[in-house]
Amino acid sequence: MPIDWEPIWLTLRLASVTTLLLLIIGVPLAGWLALSNFRLKPLVESLISLPLVLPPSVVGFYLLLAFSPTSAFGGWLLRTLDLQLVFSFSGLVVASLLYSLPFMVHPIQAGLENLPVSWREASYTLGKSPTQTLWRVLLPNCKPALLTGIILTFAHTIGEFGLVLMIGGNLPGQTRVASIAIYNEVELLHFETAHAYAALLLGLSLAILLLVYSFNKRVTTV
Amino acid sequence: MIDLTVTFPRLFTEGPGNLQLAVSLTSGSLTAVVGPSGSGKTTILRVLAGLETPSQGRIVVDDQVWLDHEQRINLPPQQRSIGYVFQDTALFPNLTVRENIAYATTRGQRTQVDELLESAGLASFASIRPAQLSGGQRQRVALARALVRRPKLLLLDEPFSALDDDATDQLRQLLRSLHRTWGTTTILVSHHKADVQALADRVIQLSQGRILTDQSQLNQATLTTPSQVIRQIWFDQAQQQWVIDTDTIQLRSVNADWSLLQAGMTVDLTWYG
Repeated sequence: MPIDWEPIWLTLRLASVTTLLLLIIGVPLAGWLALSNFRLKPLVESLISLPLVLPPSVVGFYLLLAFSPTSAFGGWLLRTLDLQLVFSFSGLVVASLLYSLPFMVHPIQAGLENLPVSWREASYTLGKSPTQTLWRVLLPNCKPALLTGIILTFAHTIGEFGLVLMIGGNLPGQTRVASIAIYNEVELLHFETAHAYAALLLGLSLAILLLVYSFNKRVTTV
Repeated sequence: MIDLTVTFPRLFTEGPGNLQLAVSLTSGSLTAVVGPSGSGKTTILRVLAGLETPSQGRIVVDDQVWLDHEQRINLPPQQRSIGYVFQDTALFPNLTVRENIAYATTRGQRTQVDELLESAGLASFASIRPAQLSGGQRQRVALARALVRRPKLLLLDEPFSALDDDATDQLRQLLRSLHRTWGTTTILVSHHKADVQALADRVIQLSQGRILTDQSQLNQATLTTPSQVIRQIWFDQAQQQWVIDTDTIQLRSVNADWSLLQAGMTVDLTWYG
């Protein structure tokens, strides 16, 4: 049976959009957490890390309730922005942003915290603000951590299943990503097609990880 | 003129205690702070730079209040006119020597970068990165970077500690020459007696966060200017001493006759040694 490429492209599109948006959100967030010390910091860190310990179905369930047009938030989105997040690609993106947030923030925050404190302090004594210090000194010296964050987010989004199923369902061309396509094919006993999808995801994930480790080795040995 | 009065609870080698200091530094002076490891030398620099906040204290630099616990004033490091040379140099590895020095400058200060590259003997290394430099060269870059904004206060934290004898000599000469040219009030924390003798015109010895001794010492700069105009005379309650500040030196005495002296008078200094 020929393979339908649409779930693969949809998966790659979802992973790319999520990674790009999380890069924009995650870098300043990681910088803020790494450079500041405030009373509610443990709470913020815990909230960001929650998706790591919660089953995807729990996150998916609460997001489904929140995004539903019958809820206050979902209804407001529909009335004001004409946006329905349940069973739509946009909903998948928003859910993936929340679910993959720790995979972007944690490596970058750890990378920034591992840099010598004296670099940051030297920059401050030279009149630069924490934001200027982050962009001009800290992030350029933190490339492996940045790349790790990007790749882990991309790879994790590719592998999402439970959350995607809860929020997006199984709509061909809209929300049926590769992991759900595999599940479908197995349900229909189309093992050859399931094999093809699974092998593609396996190869893609392996290639991504190889890229990360090769790049990190090159950066750390230069 | 720099006035520093701070109380800072911290852990010393001998156990927990308070760093308690009351010091006045004359503009343009080079003061060395010496003492055993863990006596609070680096903490003084960090408090002056705004990198640590004391539990109580007041720092006034040329009539500008940097810290006043009672008035709840505590300027961040960015707003204090300081140059800080860290023990590990803290050069930014992603920037070249020129970019490191120019990091904090505005467009109008670009000529100062060239001037410092030249006077620190770094012109031929301008386009390479710190990883390719020797320890002595890195310290010279750090010193040039700290001076480029013409700070009111230069803070040097053990700049010679990781250098061999030749590099130490070169850096010492550079520091002396830049201090003479730029006249920046400088505090040098050092373990090396030779650095202190060669450079400082005042030596403060610390022990467990307290001043053990505070002595002005002869150096080439003061020997060449034996006549000094008194800019300020005051009584240091903490030390129970009269203090005379001139443009280049601070003199201290318990002699009660000093109360007869006034600002504007000239004192003739005779050095014995």
